[in-house]
This record gives sequence, structure tokens and C-alpha cells, in this order.
Amino acid sequence: MVTPSLGVLAIVVGYPVIYTLILSVQDYNLLSAAPARFIGAANYAKLFRDPTFWQALVNTAAYTFGSVGVSVLLGLTLALLTENLGGCRGRLTRALLLTPWAVPFVVVAFLFRYMYLQNGGAINALLLAAGFISAPISWLNVSLLAMPAVMVTNVWAMTPFFFLLLSAALAGIPNEVIESARVDRAHTLSMIFRIKLPFLRNALLVSSLLMVIANFNDFAKIWAMTQGGPGYSTTTLVIYVYRQAFENFAFGYASALGVVWLLLLLAFAVAYLRALRMD
Amino acid sequence: MVDTNGLRRILFAASITLLFGFAIDAVAADGKIVITFANWAAAEGTTKPSIDQVIADFEKAHPDIQIKSEAISFSEIARQLALRLKAGNPPDVAQLAGNDTFVIASTGKLEPLGGYVDADLKGPAGFWYNKQVMAKAGLDPDKPPRTIDELMSAMATIKKSQPDVIPLALDTTNRPFSLQSNWPWIATFGATPLAASKGRADSPEMKRYLTWMRDLAKNGYIDPGRKIGEFRPLAAQDKVAFIWDQVLLQGVIQSVNKMSDADFYRHWGVTTQPVGPSGKPYSFEGGHQLVIFADSAQKKAAWTFIQYLATSPEAVKIYTLGPGSSLPPLSAAPKQELAAKLDTPIYRSFTVSVIPTLTTPPFGPAFATASSAIMAGVQQAVTGSEPIDQIANSIQQQLDRQ
Repeated sequence: MVTPSLGVLAIVVGYPVIYTLILSVQDYNLLSAAPARFIGAANYAKLFRDPTFWQALVNTAAYTFGSVGVSVLLGLTLALLTENLGGCRGRLTRALLLTPWAVPFVVVAFLFRYMYLQNGGAINALLLAAGFISAPISWLNVSLLAMPAVMVTNVWAMTPFFFLLLSAALAGIPNEVIESARVDRAHTLSMIFRIKLPFLRNALLVSSLLMVIANFNDFAKIWAMTQGGPGYSTTTLVIYVYRQAFENFAFGYASALGVVWLLLLLAFAVAYLRALRMD
Repeated sequence: MVDTNGLRRILFAASITLLFGFAIDAVAADGKIVITFANWAAAEGTTKPSIDQVIADFEKAHPDIQIKSEAISFSEIARQLALRLKAGNPPDVAQLAGNDTFVIASTGKLEPLGGYVDADLKGPAGFWYNKQVMAKAGLDPDKPPRTIDELMSAMATIKKSQPDVIPLALDTTNRPFSLQSNWPWIATFGATPLAASKGRADSPEMKRYLTWMRDLAKNGYIDPGRKIGEFRPLAAQDKVAFIWDQVLLQGVIQSVNKMSDADFYRHWGVTTQPVGPSGKPYSFEGGHQLVIFADSAQKKAAWTFIQYLATSPEAVKIYTLGPGSSLPPLSAAPKQELAAKLDTPIYRSFTVSVIPTLTTPPFGPAFATASSAIMAGVQQAVTGSEPIDQIANSIQQQLDRQ
């Protein structure tokens, strides 16, 4: 029964992974007429000496965990706030809160890119009108601000996912548990932290694992907004791999980066799955 | 290491004419020869109508040939062509420009061409100045800045009188085209950041250039992070005072604001780059090329198409001199009508003043790789606060590792 599925997986997953592993130990440039040459671990040695790789790794961690962390908190807060909203008002509020999830990520990226513009951007116009700033800020072109600005965009796009999942998980908490907590006069905070959050643990773990993987691989938003700049301040691993593979055409080196990236994600997924089993 | 001169020779030959020995043309099911034409003209709103029109006219004049236009954006075309070459699926004809032509030529997969068209093809960038904005700032609209110092002074005046105007439109994105576009500015500071041009990125001249770029950003004279194409609609709305761009700017501006030719010449002028410490103005070679791929089975028909696109008076009138216009690849205009079209202040400025200042960077795959490190450094200088020495050293270290 499982043989056909394994066959398909071997082709669509196994072949690219194995081919990437093979390329990662070769000197292979797409523009070169010379055939690929075996160079052992030279690409890996180069990678560990490459400061841009380390910066990309730090940026990836900041982007991924920062975005997921804030989105989880916001999604959870919104789910708790709207939990008891019923009728037409509840449906309308939930529909509005889910809207960003329905917007394609590239569209979100371009929308925010234009809103962040120093000249003519809506965000600067608002902040200037409100008197919070005295001169327009070039949000995406200041090294220190670019990453937080991209993360805000990402959080806006991702929060509805957590809101949706956690709202469903909240609705699944048995009424008896809530009722008995009320009988015991549990106040709001202890109801959230002692009753609801333990019930949401699995939903939180699974949803954040999914989003960590998705954000680790997020290319479209960052590329559309900053292309990894200014400098390397928003260059994540996926952007760096793209530049190596499709701008420098250094497929060997890009594959070595890809292998490290894969191993990191695998290690993270295993740790997460273990945490789930410990429940 | 690829020999740049050799590469240049390949490109020169490739972009101009066709050698002998055409392969037997492949024929489509309906008896027509189908030619795939990868181009960005069909991907851009300004030029799509004119390239579509030229293709339709060509097909009418050559009923046995059908053109299959493949729209690929300017930024993507080299990448896609390199991948398609490796996959053994290149188009027959493609439109390329600048370093991209050298990158694709370095694969050895372009058909060598030579001898049909005037070899002196140019596509330079000029220093465009908005006379309206200058006059509003109290500057003499007929006296554009001639030096970097005059430019800084003019931008300060403009910024003061019209804070919503971008004083200088420069492309500071991180891509090979941006380095190509910034190369003349680097050169006018006397710097040559690449070893291929016998220079270093940590030289005092390069540091002076980076310091100037930082000053531009600090004073709000440039709007970093925008591609040059994103400045053009703003230029059409008088939101840009000076812009470093090619001949095509006129067509884009007029297609946006529907300005007549006469109004445009009253509104905009173009001249050579304001000179920096080197004492010389420079421009970059941004000419567009048409290439035929060596694997094409329809080389004869492909050449017929290239010839039509590049030299037929109809195509030159509709596409080359149309919206998004550029300098046509002709030593002399073949018809009176075209000669009149070329007799404008803009074309005269480009031909007489700008073209003599052309400088060509050491194009090739190494240029593309280096551009990432250099433009990342330029962005750090423009947007960060790290010391310029540190940035220049970091660029040089990255170049050394490549």
C-alpha cells in the first residue's frame, strides 16, 4: 500500500535532496562550460569562513523567531478577545481579522513597501500628521530599521493564521472544564493561564512549528521589500542562497548553504516533535 | 578567470552580425517558422504596445515567420536565460543589456555575429535636469551643475525650496545594473573598485565616493532603495530634480504625463555628469543588444527578425524611437522622417556631449558577482553609520574571497 507513496516521495523529495548533497561537494558554476568538479568539503569550509553566511543565519533567526513570537502573542490575544463574540458582530469581526491571511504575500510585501516609502509613504504621512516624527523616515533603507519593518509586515500577514487556529482550539475546550473553573471562582487571568493555555499547548506547538518552517523559508516578502538590503541587514539564508545560485550561478556553494539550512530545520523540527511527545 | 577582452570581442561579434552556416530552419505544423523571442519590452507597460506592433508588422511582412514573444522582466532575463541554456531550452532570440550580455556570452552559447550593422552602438546615461524644478528653486534652468560641488549646492537649494522633490534620482539597489549605473559616479571620484580594472575597493578614491554617497543620503538628496524605473513616474510628476538615466526617460515621462515634445524640451534637459575630483565626466554603456542562441534551429529567420527590429525604418520609428526610446543602431538615419525625429535637443546632447564620456566597466560574470559585494557596501554607506573605512575594507575582503 505504501510503496507508491514512497516512490513518489523518493522522486519529489529524495532526488532533489540527494542531488543537492552531491552538488554541495562540487565546484559547479552554471555559466561555466567546464563540468562540475569534486572538491570535497571545500564549499563547507568556505561557508564557515564567510561572514555574510553568519549574518544571514542571525538575520534568519531574528526574522523567524521574532515574527512567529509576536504573531503567536497577537493571535492568541485576538482569539481570547473575540472568543465570546457571537452573532453577526462576531462573524464580521472574525472575517475582518482573517482578511490579511487572504492577501497574497507578494501583494502584502508591495503594499507595505509603498506604505513605508520615505517620499509619499502612508506610514510617514500618518506619523508626520500625528506629530510623532518631524521628518520622514526611510524605513526600509536604514540598516537598523529595515529588519523590524519587514517583520511588522510579516506579523500583519501571519497573525490571522494563529488567530484562526487558536480560536478553533479555544472552541474545543470542554464546557465542563470552563464551568467548573467558574464555580471555583477562577478570575480571568487564572482562567487563561491555568485552564485555557494548557489546553492550547498542542495547537500552539504545531502552529508555531509550521510557521517557523514557513518563515525560515520565506523569500517573497523579503525579496519584494528589500532584496536583502540595505547592505546585508535583511539578508536571510534563503535570500543568500538565491543570490549565490541565481545571481552568481555558484550552484555548488549555494547547495552547501542549502544543506546547512536543511540540517538546521531538521534539528529544529525534531526538537519540536520531541516536545510534543513529552505531553 | 574569463578574459574580459576576449569576452568583449565575443559580445561585440555576437551583438552585431551573423556568421555563415545557418542551420536548417525548423518549421511549425502550419508551415510557419516559429521564433521564440525572450524580451523585456513586452513585459513593460510603456514598451509593450510598440513591440507588439513591430512584431505584428514583421509577421505581416514575413508571412512564413511567426514570432512567439516571451515577456520576461529586465531584472530576471539573464537569470532565466542562463537556466534555460543549462536546461537545453534557450529561445531563438533574446534582448539583453549591459553586463547581462557578457554573462550570457561567457557561456559560449551565443551565435557569433559580425559585420551587418554599424558597430558603434551606444546606449549611455545622461544627467537629466528638470528646468521647472530648478527655476522654482531660483536656479538658472539653463545652467545645470557642472561639478559635484555645484551639484551639492543646487540640491541644497532645491531641498530647501521644495522638500517633497527628490533632488537626485540614483539607483542604489543591489543588482549588477546598479553597479553599472553607479560606475561613472565611482569613476568621477577617480576610483576603480575591481581588480580587473586595476583598482581596489579600499582605495582613498573609493572611500571618498562612499563618503559622498553617505552625504547625499544624510542630507536627504537621494531616496535609497528605489530602482531607477521607480523614479521615472515621479520625474514625470516633477518630483525629481536631477536623474541619472538613459534616452528612454523621455518616452517614459511622456507616456505618463502626455507632455508634448515641445513642452518636454522646455521642461527637461540632459547633459554630461557633473565632474568629481578626477576632473572628468563619465557615462555608462547601457545599450540594448539582440542575440541569437547557438542552439537555435531557426538562425536564418532569427537573423531576418533581428535585422528588422534593429534597422527597419518602421521598427526604429515605432519601437526604438517610440515610448521608452533609445538611440537607434544606425550610423545615419535612413529616411528623412527619422532624421527629423533624431534632430532633437535630447538626441543631440546624447550624441555630441554624453557619448564621448562613455566608460565601460570590466563586464563579465566576475562583474556580476562583485556587484553584490560593492552595492551592499554602497547601501551600508548610504543607510548605516559604520565608518566608511570599515565598509570599504569589508567590500575589499569580500572581493578578495571571490
